[in-house]
Amino acid sequence: MAQTTRSTRLRNILLILSVIGPGLVTATADNDASGIATYAMVGSMFGYKMLWGLFLITISLAVIQEMAARMGVVTGKGLSDLIRENFGVKMTFFAMVTLLIANFTTTVGEFAGIAASLEIFGISKYISVPLTAIFVWYIINKGSYRKTEKFFLGLMVIYVSYIISGFLAKPDWKEVFKNTFVPSFSFEPSFVLIFIAMIGTTITPWMQFYLQSSVVDKGVDVKNLKYQRWDVFLGAFWTDFIAFFIVVATAATLYKHGINIETAEDAAKALQPFAGKYASSLFAIGLFGASLLGAHILPLSTAYAITEAFGFENGLDKKFKEAPIFYGIILLFIVIGAGIILLPNIPLIKLMIIAQEINGILLPIILIYMLKLTNDKEIMGEYVNSKLFNVIAWVTVVFIIILTLILLVQPFLNI
Amino acid sequence: MPNVTSFYLSRVIGNKVFSEEKKVVGRLLDLVVDASYIRPKVIAAKVKSGGRTQIVDFSFFIIYKEKGQYVIETRNLKPIDVKKEDTIMLVRHILDKQIVDMNGRKVVRVNDIRLAVLSTGVYVIAVDIGLEGLLRRLGLAKPLKKVLKPLGKNIPSRLILWDDVQPLASPRLDLKLSTTYSKLATLHPSDLADIIEELDKKTQAYIFSTLDDEKAADVLEELEVEAQRNVLESLPVEKAADALEKMPADEVADILDEIKEERAEELLNSMEKEASEEVKELMEYPENSVGAIMTTDFISFKTHFTVEQTIEELRRLKPEPDEIYYLYVVDNDERLCGVVSLRDLVISEPQTPLYEIMNRDVVCVKDTDNVNSLVEIISKYSLLAVPVVDESKKLIGVVIINDIVYELLKMKRKLLL
Repeated sequence: MAQTTRSTRLRNILLILSVIGPGLVTATADNDASGIATYAMVGSMFGYKMLWGLFLITISLAVIQEMAARMGVVTGKGLSDLIRENFGVKMTFFAMVTLLIANFTTTVGEFAGIAASLEIFGISKYISVPLTAIFVWYIINKGSYRKTEKFFLGLMVIYVSYIISGFLAKPDWKEVFKNTFVPSFSFEPSFVLIFIAMIGTTITPWMQFYLQSSVVDKGVDVKNLKYQRWDVFLGAFWTDFIAFFIVVATAATLYKHGINIETAEDAAKALQPFAGKYASSLFAIGLFGASLLGAHILPLSTAYAITEAFGFENGLDKKFKEAPIFYGIILLFIVIGAGIILLPNIPLIKLMIIAQEINGILLPIILIYMLKLTNDKEIMGEYVNSKLFNVIAWVTVVFIIILTLILLVQPFLNI
Repeated sequence: MPNVTSFYLSRVIGNKVFSEEKKVVGRLLDLVVDASYIRPKVIAAKVKSGGRTQIVDFSFFIIYKEKGQYVIETRNLKPIDVKKEDTIMLVRHILDKQIVDMNGRKVVRVNDIRLAVLSTGVYVIAVDIGLEGLLRRLGLAKPLKKVLKPLGKNIPSRLILWDDVQPLASPRLDLKLSTTYSKLATLHPSDLADIIEELDKKTQAYIFSTLDDEKAADVLEELEVEAQRNVLESLPVEKAADALEKMPADEVADILDEIKEERAEELLNSMEKEASEEVKELMEYPENSVGAIMTTDFISFKTHFTVEQTIEELRRLKPEPDEIYYLYVVDNDERLCGVVSLRDLVISEPQTPLYEIMNRDVVCVKDTDNVNSLVEIISKYSLLAVPVVDESKKLIGVVIINDIVYELLKMKRKLLL
């Protein structure tokens, strides 16, 4: 008897391991260059004041990612496929333009991250950015992207050092806990903007497409949906756990001393309690890994989403001539994305934040499509959204829209 | 009123439906065609009128053009019952969905549908998968054409005749064609495998379940590992086992190695005992050993067989071409003792026993040998196949050159990655 329970337990663990991956990988990749910059900004500008937001976003993130994963498992199709098949060309075009804008700005953010991280080592952006752009193009073309992915994901583990730093900086834990559960809000434009950026970097449009495709690729069976769910929830928790400590660490160091983040080196200062003089190097390596991974994923996943939606040829196993639009999108993203960073006097950190603001503002559009799809009985069968999920997702959508409106109305109210 | 001879579906869907008195009676949502015709005929229309949707008889409808716009007019909104089998709803099942382009042998997405108006009715003639169709749906085709015309350029359009189209019935869309996938079955297994690989899991399994066992086995062999895994895991056990039985044991062993152990066992148990035991034995060999890639589908003859008996036996067995590169000769204990070629057999007198004409100097390998040694042997002696023996010299399998090429390619790919 004991034997059987042990073997079923073992089987359960194996099952969980067999589906784990997409959610956790996506979540880790989510703490990309712009993400780190945004969280560091949140902590340095407003201390612990936005922690409650992060706490609530984690719940939204978990729910929304689960929707994407569930759609992937149940339908076996990518998000853009489903949008095209169920909403027709016009609505698909609108969704794809949204995705294109959001992803492009994020790609620019990733190249900004590459420039910023290597500047810490004294490498000029005029050298680092063109070289990495060529590298990214090479890796994607060579088709060895999957292996490279793991390597860069590995580099991002460096962010665990924020957790240690967060403790060593001796934050006021009482304040931290209070602010995690008790909301405080300010109608200041900078507060609203950073808040949108924080949502936009945690829950991004591209993640939904990327996650759903990864789940489809993995071929998870409906029977194992509950395990897939754990993968996604674990991922959401992990990504925001790191984010939480970035905010805490920056709040306890930078905010306390009134340091504003203007360069990547400023953001690295929050690691000083842990890494001392190596703080900036450690930060730079992590940021570089995160940015480089993002610079691969974003052009690639955009190209897949768009070509799938419109029925153009795609796939890394095809040649440029066979799939011109697919490779064209990738190439344009890399060339123009990197090109913008090469403009003189571009404020890198600010650029990363702006990318996330745009992501945040555009997010509700993609979420509404997802909500429509996951509530469609014809598509999801018995796996349609539960009431609770709908409420959480809709509240998120409405909340972001209200924030965006506040932002738009603000300048007029001040006059 | 100018007669319409042909039109695109996108130009009429969503339009108002008028009565003969030019009163709006509803809005056109979809067209239902009878797919049992070679050219599917529109038999019904899905119309929304007065807040409810209904399927109505299309024979009361006429479509004509007025001031550049299509006008849909009907004498009567008469509800009609359509059978699920053999009817396709153009918007619901075809438009924006994936279909198979039988000539191009690939999966494409439908941007628009072309219909023809004949005196006998309205028929589907082609699907549009080109850029023009996409732009037309966005309302951009006409203005863009105007801009491009002076430049002497045009937007490329691509139409596929309906004869060359295979709709893909996703089970989700409850599309049931009695002739489902008859067209797909005519494709070469490797083309069909390419197409199946492009589809989502459910449709993959669905298409697979409609193929007969022989075809299913051929296609399964050609699929990439990932698609193989999916098909074997989502098909009903019986169907999957039937297909596996038709495949060479070594291929089956390879595939089963890739899927979940539980499922593999389940499949093995549902296969015929003889077939599954061969597979099980093969699966026990380590990955890089000769045993893991050899096939156990070979034919051998006893030393005392005459040429006549041997040929008769061959006629009875009707072996596959790659099984008769060489004919192996074994003694009463199944030990390999010689090889005879088809040429030797054909030029010898009928009553000659095999031991007189066989070549006793057989190159063979042991099942536990490393695959690399095989490559050397095969190229050194320019062989098409090598016999495999076990410890006691018993003939237990054959490695055919195809399998080695495959193995080499796999190794090369691994090195590249």
